[in-house]
Amino acid sequence: MEQEAILRKYKLRQRLIDLLPLAALAALFAILCITVQSKGYRLDMYLKIIFNEGVVLAVVATGAVFIYTLGSFDISLGASTLFSATLGVMTYNATGSLPLMILVIFGVAVGCSLLSSVLASVFHIPVFVTTVAMMSVLSAIAAQIITTNGGAVGGISIPSALVKPLDNMGFKIAVLAIFWLICFFVFDFTKIGRKQKFLGGNPVCAQLTGIQVNKYAIIAFVMAGIGVGLGAFLTLVYTPSVTATTAGSIGMNIIVAIVFGGMPISGGPRSRIYSALVGGFSYILLNNILKLVIDSNIGYGVSQIVSAVFFLAVVYVTGLNYRSQMLPR
Amino acid sequence: MKTSKKIIGTLAIPVIVAAVLLILCAANGKSMIANRTSFNYFTLYTAIVMITTMALSINLGSGRFDFSLGAMAVLASILSSKISYALLAGGTGSAVLMLCLNIVIGGLLGLCSGALYVTLRIPPIITSLGVTLIYEGISFTVTGGKYVMTEVRNASMTAFAGNWYFSALIIVLVLAFIVYLFDHTRFGYDYKALQSGQKVAVNTGIREVPNALWCYVICGALMGIVGFLNVARSSNINGGSLNFGSIGIMFTAFLPMFIGGYIGRYSNDKLGYLMAALCMSMLNSTFAAFSNEISASAQSIINAVLLVVFLIYLNNEGLLKKILSPKKA
Amino acid sequence: MKKALALILALVMVLALAACGNSAPAASNDAPAAAGNDAPAANDKPIKIGVLVSDVSGEEALGFRAYYENYIAKNYNVTFTYTEQLEDAAAEKAAIEKFAAQGYDAILSLSASDRTTQIETCIANGLYYAVVSGMLDDAQFEQFKGEQYFVGQIGPSMDTEYEAGYAMGKHFADNGAKTVGIYGAFIPNPMHVYRTAGVLAGLGCTYGGASDKDGIAGQLFGDQGVNMEKLECGDVQVIGYFQGFGDTTFDELFAIVGQQPDAFLSVGMATTFFADALNGAKIPYSDIDSFTSGNAANMADGTLVYLAGKYSSSIGPIFAAVMNAVQGNPVRDAEGNALSISQSYLVATDSAAFDSIFNGDKGDSPIFSKDVLDTVIGAVSYDDFVKLVESK
Repeated sequence: MEQEAILRKYKLRQRLIDLLPLAALAALFAILCITVQSKGYRLDMYLKIIFNEGVVLAVVATGAVFIYTLGSFDISLGASTLFSATLGVMTYNATGSLPLMILVIFGVAVGCSLLSSVLASVFHIPVFVTTVAMMSVLSAIAAQIITTNGGAVGGISIPSALVKPLDNMGFKIAVLAIFWLICFFVFDFTKIGRKQKFLGGNPVCAQLTGIQVNKYAIIAFVMAGIGVGLGAFLTLVYTPSVTATTAGSIGMNIIVAIVFGGMPISGGPRSRIYSALVGGFSYILLNNILKLVIDSNIGYGVSQIVSAVFFLAVVYVTGLNYRSQMLPR
Repeated sequence: MKTSKKIIGTLAIPVIVAAVLLILCAANGKSMIANRTSFNYFTLYTAIVMITTMALSINLGSGRFDFSLGAMAVLASILSSKISYALLAGGTGSAVLMLCLNIVIGGLLGLCSGALYVTLRIPPIITSLGVTLIYEGISFTVTGGKYVMTEVRNASMTAFAGNWYFSALIIVLVLAFIVYLFDHTRFGYDYKALQSGQKVAVNTGIREVPNALWCYVICGALMGIVGFLNVARSSNINGGSLNFGSIGIMFTAFLPMFIGGYIGRYSNDKLGYLMAALCMSMLNSTFAAFSNEISASAQSIINAVLLVVFLIYLNNEGLLKKILSPKKA
Repeated sequence: MKKALALILALVMVLALAACGNSAPAASNDAPAAAGNDAPAANDKPIKIGVLVSDVSGEEALGFRAYYENYIAKNYNVTFTYTEQLEDAAAEKAAIEKFAAQGYDAILSLSASDRTTQIETCIANGLYYAVVSGMLDDAQFEQFKGEQYFVGQIGPSMDTEYEAGYAMGKHFADNGAKTVGIYGAFIPNPMHVYRTAGVLAGLGCTYGGASDKDGIAGQLFGDQGVNMEKLECGDVQVIGYFQGFGDTTFDELFAIVGQQPDAFLSVGMATTFFADALNGAKIPYSDIDSFTSGNAANMADGTLVYLAGKYSSSIGPIFAAVMNAVQGNPVRDAEGNALSISQSYLVATDSAAFDSIFNGDKGDSPIFSKDVLDTVIGAVSYDDFVKLVESK
């Protein structure tokens, strides 16, 4: 009986810790609402802005969860987003065709992702190093295209009227919801997700049971590529221009978002598809709250410090469930 | 392994690289190192690459990924430049004082980073994300986001940058210290034991936490030296990097780290890092000589391709040898 | 169960965020009236101006900021709020929308990732907008010049950038320089492209056969820099060219310094990156930068011999134009178009000239002081406004 009580208590604690990222999101949401209202600002506008800021990160990071689940991580996703958007804009400007532009964006995004995956799996190169190289190459080529074609304006663009009808909450919510539900289904209700979690948790055992590492790595990168394509398209919907710095911060923010959402960086069975969504919006909310509270130039540094401390605190608490005796690596 | 084979193995890559690049320069009427000043900066850059590579490899070799190396170098330089300027106002001995302070402050920053890691027991990659944001935030706050110039522009710093033997002396001292520390002390033996088998090493009584902490302190001190060398090279410090703007320095050390590791098979991996740094420095000087023909974007692409090609070779060496070796009848 | 609960909570949270914001279509449509200022602000109501910045570290940017925050804000009933360093077009748009949500009156932009989107966003949110210390592309200006919320632009046009470079190149050619090195700063940044084009023309060089502004600049955009093989010069020999700032920068600099050129011409940032090296090597150099104490020292004690620069209070008139617009006195030309005034650089070639500019535009006594600006604040004609700007 006593053992059962201990077990119950342990499970309850685990459940509470698992819910912490959601609680953090709820708390940050409430704090933002209170802060904005207390300052007399327009809450409806603020929430729309934050949604716009978070949606690209959430979409790209949700796709990236598949890679992180395998215990790998991809630092080139920001550069892929830039590269896809760049070629998309170039395609539209050459053909005047929106469907072709969308096709190119997705084709390039998935192609870049597949290239990383093939390099890593066929040539046995560490995934992270492959993605570092991809990041350099993609951002360099995109910058070259943008600056050569941008001329005195400094960037390339499509007509804003072309994507203006899509720059509304309904469309973006639909895109986010559909993509997220597909990912949720694949991740939690198909053998793909289950096997990826197995591979991330114990690759040796997984391979011994006959799971093909390369196949599931390629699927993970394809899912991430689709996320990148959607992210690139949503970026163009919000601002119909691309400069060499577009989506520059996404690469690192994805890691922060996924971890902030309660997923272990080592991947495996504790991976959660909702981590990217929850973590992405939490991080954006946190940064906006800090910018509202801390003002002035010096405040940028201070708000980054506070944001980092909060990030570490949340990750520390969410990681309480899987703490080991040895130092984690 | 025979001594001659060791010597050939150690020197082969730098000699081949030097030969190829010198021929390339000569064929195009260029010179890799045009004058004495160029040689001073060649040596300085070699020191920067070698020490950064060592700092990266110490923790990465143990599975601890550290994004904060660049942020540590910048923050150590900012604090030490402010202190040394307050004490000596740019007078005689400013460079020596700043170097000493950089090492001490860098070590302390490394200690803080390590302490956070061993206390929170969350994966080092995540700790390093938080630490990077915190150190960047402090740098920005201290400098107000401005370039630090007055504090680092003095005759003492100019004399340091203008004489290659100061950089060469630092290379020799750092190399000797790191070789001694990691190959001839109890700390080094423990480090290697933990590196090759964490669980076994801990079970045999090796104290992992102090070892990890010392690794972070050493990394910090090394990045302090790198920060100082960077200041000597560019005579300013950019205090305005936020949002992971400082992590680029880490990526430049990947290629020399893998080349150094390969050379290390024939002698010592630390010596390998020096040889690899020489190769990178020669490549850099060649890029400079061909700057009108090879743009910065093209340089990034070449570096990335070299990294991937070298890793393909490194990770498929056995297979390549099998394919290339004559088949037995 | 746990999974389902988490899923539901996550979706509820995000949809709540979206749904709250989703009231925005209505709110957004109302925004111009609610957040902006169709009605002129009363004179006693503090004017709130948001400033978009893409550079938070440069001497020029800091000088501009100090002028607005420490001088203008103290002398007028106005508050300035600076953004963080804006990295891309999305960040610019989000910053403008946040200012609108906070009830700001106007936007002053020192950021240029996507001016078109900036202006469209300001118009949609009823915020007055002006370009500070720069100019729109001609096509962009044509597109927006008639818009009520577009106040205008005062700053160096691309023609002015070219002329600044040309004057610099000509100065050294006229003073007998035979060998020069050139630093193209951050080409393909458009202003650096036009300045470099001007320098080449001023030195008497042709580039790919072209000797005019558009011919040279167009090729520089295409080449992403100066291709030395396309360069043909007369009396002056260009012994080296480089651009950007990276691992090879100092090697490239010292390859030039080692040849002891008669002059080193830079179109930006040389005083930040290379002053120490050039002063040490005793090579005369020039830059297009700003009038700061550091550059005063470089000119007095170092080898800086030519500086074309903006002064901090040069951004005063555009503030006056924005203030007028917010208070219901927009400055428009005869056709009702927005302001567009090209502002030239000031040039110093010795310490005396430098000090007279530097000391004449300091702290509490800027060139565009309150007394000067007051002459164009209120109902003022377009011509009078232009006259004042061009008089300084």
